[in-house]
Amino acid sequence: MATQARPEQEFFCFRVGDLRLGVPSENVLEVLRAGLLTPLPRTPSFVMGVTGHRGVVLPVVDLLRFLSKGEARIGPRTRLFVGVSGSFVAGVVADTVLGLRRIPVSDILPPPLGGDAAAEHLLGVVQASGTQEAINLLNFTKLLQTARQRAVAR
Amino acid sequence: MNDVLAPEPGTDEVDILFFLIGDALYGTDASQVLRIDRSLPEDITLPDLGLPHRGLRALVFDTPEGEGHLKVDAVNGVRSIPVAALRRMPAAVAAAPYAVGVCLDEQAPRPVLLIDLVETAKTQGRH
Repeated sequence: MATQARPEQEFFCFRVGDLRLGVPSENVLEVLRAGLLTPLPRTPSFVMGVTGHRGVVLPVVDLLRFLSKGEARIGPRTRLFVGVSGSFVAGVVADTVLGLRRIPVSDILPPPLGGDAAAEHLLGVVQASGTQEAINLLNFTKLLQTARQRAVAR
Repeated sequence: MNDVLAPEPGTDEVDILFFLIGDALYGTDASQVLRIDRSLPEDITLPDLGLPHRGLRALVFDTPEGEGHLKVDAVNGVRSIPVAALRRMPAAVAAAPYAVGVCLDEQAPRPVLLIDLVETAKTQGRH
């Protein structure tokens, strides 16, 4: 008897600080070394600065600061993934790249009710196997929209 | 006000004057700079650009209200930079109005922030 295919969604998964996060793979263009950033005056704290990549100026976003979960540190092993939503492109800090994961849609649990402000930017949560921590799946499009609104509204 | 990212008609390069405030390297349209002078205590300092170590020099520029003086630590010279290496600041980051763009210069290890000197005077509110 043929098994019925379970619909899946592909996520780019990474670790930053103590968080394991996932972003829909269609929102990720590429991954690069963080390199040296140029700080910008008077930007929100979650904008760490800008970097140049392939002739484009990329704002670099610290998700830990954005989600009020601490702050990212740039080291020699730090990576940036180039995230895109519509016409907006940004570099996002990742301490470790966990890779692309195909996750059955039925395994994605809804974001916790009554969670903190970070929960409003989650698509859901997927429980990892074994002793591994859960992966929080980000609504990257909404996250970038909020980031732009926060930046402009100051 | 000069547009720091606008080249002279018929040219594809802009003369950028590079300067240091503290350890941070910045650039500005060299045509905005009237002269480099000794700094005075009342000259402009913008904490957002970093505090000068000693700030013994000042970039002097013209504004509608008179001369403006921005305190700097050192001037690293003027180089002609291809317009193709200059980028406007992404609007989405909502940076300070005097941070008008960046220079993706191969000789610099990181993008160099381009400063509109006249806007620094407006931000400071005095000259």
